[in-house]
Amino acid sequence: MSTSATATTTRLGDAVGELRRPRVESPWRRAARRFLRHRLATAGLIVSLLLILAALFAPALAPRDPLQISILDKFAAPMTKGFVLGADEVGRDLVSRLLYAGRISLLVGFAAMAVTIVVGTLIGLFAGFYGGRVDAVLMRFTDALLCFPTIFLLLVLAAFVGASLLSITLIIGLTSWMELARILRNQALTLRERDYVQAGRALGASNAWLIRRHMLPNTLGTIMVAATLNIANAVLAESYISYLGYGIQPPEASWGNMLNNAQSYFSTAPWIALFPGVLITLTVASFNFLGDGLRDALDPRARR
Amino acid sequence: MIRHHDDLVRSVREVREGRLSRRAFLASAVAAGFALPMAEAFLSRSAAAASAASLALQGEPQKGGQVIVGLSQEPTVFNPLKSTLEVDRGVQFGVFDSLWRIDQDAVLIPNLATEIPSVENGGISEDGLTYTFKLRDDAKWHDGQPFTAADVVFSHNTIVNPDFVAGTTIGHDQVTEISAPDDRTVTMSLKEPYAPFLTVWADTYIVPEHILKDVEDLNTAEFNSTAPVGTGPFTFAERVAGDHITLQANPNYHGPGPYLDTVIFKYVPDLTVLFTQFKTGEVDVTGIQGITADNVAEAKTLPDKVLHGDPTSFVEFIYMNFGKPVFQDKAVREALYAAMDKDNIINTVYYGVHTPTESYLSTKSWAYNPDLAKQVFDIEAAKKILDDAGWAPGADGIREKDGVKLSFSNSTTAGNKVREQAQQYLQQTWKEAGVDMQINNMPAAVIWGDYYNKSEYDSVMIGFAHPPDPDGTSRFHSDYIPVNGGGGQNTMQYKNPDLDKLWDEGVVELDQNKRAEIYKEAQQILRDDLAYLPIFQYVMVEGTKAGLENYKQNAFVVSNMWNVFEWYWSQGG
Amino acid sequence: MTNYLIRRVGQSALLLVLVTAIAFGLMRLAPGGPESVYALSPTMRAEDLARIRASFGLDQPLHIQYVKWATGMLTGDWGRSYRDSRPVRDVILDRVPATLELTITALAFAIVVGVTIGVLGALRPNSASDYLATIGAMVALSIPTFWFGLMVIFIFAEKLDWIPSGGRETLGAGFSLSDRLHHLVAPALVLGLVLVATWSRYTRATMLETIGQDYVRTARAKGVAERHVVWSHAFRNALGPLLTLAGIQLPFLFGGALVTESVFTWPGMGRLFVDSLGYRDYPVLMGVLVVTAILVIASNLLADFLVAFVDPRIRMR
Repeated sequence: MSTSATATTTRLGDAVGELRRPRVESPWRRAARRFLRHRLATAGLIVSLLLILAALFAPALAPRDPLQISILDKFAAPMTKGFVLGADEVGRDLVSRLLYAGRISLLVGFAAMAVTIVVGTLIGLFAGFYGGRVDAVLMRFTDALLCFPTIFLLLVLAAFVGASLLSITLIIGLTSWMELARILRNQALTLRERDYVQAGRALGASNAWLIRRHMLPNTLGTIMVAATLNIANAVLAESYISYLGYGIQPPEASWGNMLNNAQSYFSTAPWIALFPGVLITLTVASFNFLGDGLRDALDPRARR
Repeated sequence: MIRHHDDLVRSVREVREGRLSRRAFLASAVAAGFALPMAEAFLSRSAAAASAASLALQGEPQKGGQVIVGLSQEPTVFNPLKSTLEVDRGVQFGVFDSLWRIDQDAVLIPNLATEIPSVENGGISEDGLTYTFKLRDDAKWHDGQPFTAADVVFSHNTIVNPDFVAGTTIGHDQVTEISAPDDRTVTMSLKEPYAPFLTVWADTYIVPEHILKDVEDLNTAEFNSTAPVGTGPFTFAERVAGDHITLQANPNYHGPGPYLDTVIFKYVPDLTVLFTQFKTGEVDVTGIQGITADNVAEAKTLPDKVLHGDPTSFVEFIYMNFGKPVFQDKAVREALYAAMDKDNIINTVYYGVHTPTESYLSTKSWAYNPDLAKQVFDIEAAKKILDDAGWAPGADGIREKDGVKLSFSNSTTAGNKVREQAQQYLQQTWKEAGVDMQINNMPAAVIWGDYYNKSEYDSVMIGFAHPPDPDGTSRFHSDYIPVNGGGGQNTMQYKNPDLDKLWDEGVVELDQNKRAEIYKEAQQILRDDLAYLPIFQYVMVEGTKAGLENYKQNAFVVSNMWNVFEWYWSQGG
Repeated sequence: MTNYLIRRVGQSALLLVLVTAIAFGLMRLAPGGPESVYALSPTMRAEDLARIRASFGLDQPLHIQYVKWATGMLTGDWGRSYRDSRPVRDVILDRVPATLELTITALAFAIVVGVTIGVLGALRPNSASDYLATIGAMVALSIPTFWFGLMVIFIFAEKLDWIPSGGRETLGAGFSLSDRLHHLVAPALVLGLVLVATWSRYTRATMLETIGQDYVRTARAKGVAERHVVWSHAFRNALGPLLTLAGIQLPFLFGGALVTESVFTWPGMGRLFVDSLGYRDYPVLMGVLVVTAILVIASNLLADFLVAFVDPRIRMR
């Protein structure tokens, strides 16, 4: 496992390495070294990879059909009747459900992150690059959205639009891009005053080219960190919406909606509530540690 | 059993619908002063009298103590003319009075009136068109003002006032003239004989004219939500929004009762938490939705708790929308019914609390048909029915015929967990028969709005309480399809000319025995044609703390708070 | 500095307009209206529904509706609840004290505990205890609040019977401070936990930064007592960012309160929001959105003012 972890960090480091001018120690190597020194981040990386793999190979790993109801086995305790982690309120195997639920939760996490990154990057870079009126309009809108607690927006949208995998993903993505946009906008504002951008502009480079060639690569570190942290946030957000009943609908399982019933079965079958919560916490913490480590590794100012 | 907001809205509506449609057919019952559904109640009258006598022997119940009633919905509207929702009614039963109560045996008991009008006592004219109500002279409003006939007239006029959004106008819209010749008498005239008129007044709570007559807009009056004033056994003391409502004993009540000092309605949105609080003694009564099936077994083992479990008029159904081609094929309906594992749904998912049924009527109804064929769970039979009808399995295992896939959605109230389990189990057995059913659940306010009323659904899982009268016109008559402009409840868009004829005959038939035959035949047709798939009849299990006396489940009212005036603690509470 | 403050107030006013426009737009795009509440009544006819729509002003063009509603918000007329016709302002104000009680307690708890952990961590970075605190903070940030709350109820209310399973007071017992605290402690700790994590992380980071600054080194070199260095020099300078944090944390706090209130049946604004969502009570939903946004804007403004006083560098700008 440690080899694959190193390989991945190396690739991440590669990408970063291209962005910066070479110094004595190549930056990607330095980033990788920093990252790996961050033990928690390494642990986060390993755990998140394991979780992703488990989700990817859920069909192979799951001992049973996650949707197969076996009403006579309801509330079978862990390690009884062949249920390793027990059965739920209609006798479905918990291991299988957790694996398949992981697919949904992580899918929502990654897809919502993609939406967040695309929207946040576009708005942030445009605002920062063009400045002036574009910036003012975009940033005031961003600020206004930031005034609402995210969960309020999530619930309102989820309740009105109706729950489906796609809508939940979009809703989470569209309510969490604001902070990234603000950070990128500030970076872009600084960047556009840089000599090489000014030079490019003087040479008649198009705006699109400038954004693609200079803005994007120079903010890639920030975007990568934000992406990682946003996966964590999206997984958490999905669980909140599902807990309050506006999320992924049964019988499809997500870790969040497996907890929707948690309250009812705490006393009769605590394992139903325990495992999904543990997995959410584990996933979110892993990606958070990973994001933290990435930030430390990629931030040139970070002194550790 | 009222399990969720949607169900209670349904129940309230149905009760009204039932009262609404029938006019002339019960002339004989009018003469007796009672609506027909209560006929059987006469039989148990002596029993009621006996129990009253035994109560009298024990002497006056002990006074004092408080009761905390746990509610999973929050009561918000206390004007009894405005809201008739169950949760609201619970509070209204404490604060307000009607002219007479209807008890658990459907007997009318005078309250603000001194007697039940009848032809014998001159309260009802021979032709059934004129009513005279005699009122008591010792009732007072909570602010000390005397209750008079003017209040009754005012309450009626408010209900029929077109600018007032009344909870219901049914029955009151039959009145052509109302007047108060003196403070103790109200007379009114009806357009035509209307059998359920006295039951309408049993559920009409009187509001104070002296407080409300000068209010600019009755729809938004403070009275409705923060300062209700009634004549009832309890006064409205406090409301902490989102948390609880406190009622205090009214020391000047005309009696009998109240015996309790305080009644608190506690809002606990989650039924499981509510049950937990019942176990720990934080609530004394599980109000409105009772104890969910999954907790009944545990509830039975609890010391110091009493369970009440009477069958209700609620039946759980699968409603299929006949506007969707897939359901127009009777073979499909038969196959779906055959592939429904009722036994496991009732005994395992619902812990055996409820009882299977084949009819839309409660087993308690005088028109209930006990001879309907019992459904048998048999997936192979279901497959054969579909095979024979030409529904052949496609590549994905889902059957299809003439390019139409045997695929549809089913919806119910999101968050009704046990019901969702039954739904998922149904989905599975149907899938084994090659039927694809997708689950599409929604919050109560959404599903039971346009989605249901405008027949936008494929199929729904729904709990429905039929009113005391067996007439099913508004539910099943082809003229009562809302989406076609009919003002009824036939959202299934079910059309059956034979059945329409029976409904039409049943309404005008005066002889109850003949009516029973008509409705038995109607049930037979509905069962044979599978207009709906009946699952079970609900049993309402409610819990009270031991020592709370006089808690009586009453199928004729929407809230079992109906007799809170006579509740008391036998052990001092 | 005055210019700076005036500019900030101006920005806040603009934000307020945008916020109301967004809240209004969201709700008007949503399906349904007051009739979805009233339509359930069997006696409703189409013309009755139209009359109800008109009585809520819904028959007018959107921009007129917005202006009416927004000016109403300013003058204290926030509209009427679809559900029970009460004034939205009363409906919401009824719930504000419970929410403030919960959030302020949680925030106070978080600041005291979080800042202490953060400062201690910054003084001994990478020590075993710092390491533990870092892990603990991250787990606290990652745990779903509702799940944590449910576990707390299950263990401490249902199994051990140490705390009530929800609510704000014992009903019918009359007011008592100890009873209120007894009910408050679990939800406040659950809500506070995430905040402790944020505060300790931020404090640690900013303290590490200020401790490395020249003036702190100078103070140390001059032989100023370590305790004095930490609290008077380093912490004082870290205070600015922390105040800003308190300001921007507010939306998060209200969001957390919504979840906590739902789990602990706490009668605050968050629960009101969830309930109103179920009933599609748009005027109340809009009201809650705008009230929280106003509280957020106001507290950001307040934080900026305080920072301007605390941090001399701002004034010069």
